[in-house]
Amino acid sequence: MGLTVIKGLQSEIYVPITPPVVWTPVEKPLKEMTVALVTAAGVHLKSDKRFNLAGDTGYRIIPSDVDSKDLMVSHGGYDNSDVNKDINCMLPIDRLRELKEEGFIKEIAPKHIGFMGGGGDVEEFINHTGPEIAEVLKEENVDAVLLTAG
Amino acid sequence: MIVQRAIEEAGISTIVIAALPPVVRQAGAPRVTAPLVPMGANAGEPNNPEMQRNIVRDTLEQLEKIETPGRIVSLPYEYIAKI
Repeated sequence: MGLTVIKGLQSEIYVPITPPVVWTPVEKPLKEMTVALVTAAGVHLKSDKRFNLAGDTGYRIIPSDVDSKDLMVSHGGYDNSDVNKDINCMLPIDRLRELKEEGFIKEIAPKHIGFMGGGGDVEEFINHTGPEIAEVLKEENVDAVLLTAG
Repeated sequence: MIVQRAIEEAGISTIVIAALPPVVRQAGAPRVTAPLVPMGANAGEPNNPEMQRNIVRDTLEQLEKIETPGRIVSLPYEYIAKI
């Protein structure tokens, strides 16, 4: 007897499906790369509009020369207490600067991006927010993006 | 991970530091590192620049090293938040 007893039988329980692979090969060494940070942790400038904690598909640009003390978090989906003490927990901008000084990477991109991940309008993220963020990064010619999320 | 995938699709290599590796695997992240951290301190303990720098450095190294899409590399740094 084969493993399939009844052909075409399907589970009534919805199971998550992992989306198809996306992959851009790395083509240059780190010390020649311009790197940008992107975080789903809801990081933005204190002077910027806060995210709507009930769900927000927007994103905020974080200029590379920012003082990390001028950044804050608005995100309704996780405990913000660590990141409120030190923004580098989720946007390690000061650490990236140190690695650039070491020559570990070549350059820090002029703009980084914060958005509020972890849910919300998934269609909007797929069709608009994601591609728009990618466009910002393409325009500044970054070689690699380091994210914090999940 | 939707945003990471969009960036990768646009032709930029990406890697994510995740506190919840099974979640990002499910969502189809191309490259992942996973230190032992809680959500909200993915890049390491607050005001611990050494740990944060190591996590960022090791993660960038994995950007070059990972050759299999969806690979998750554990990092040997641990921070337990005091709640």
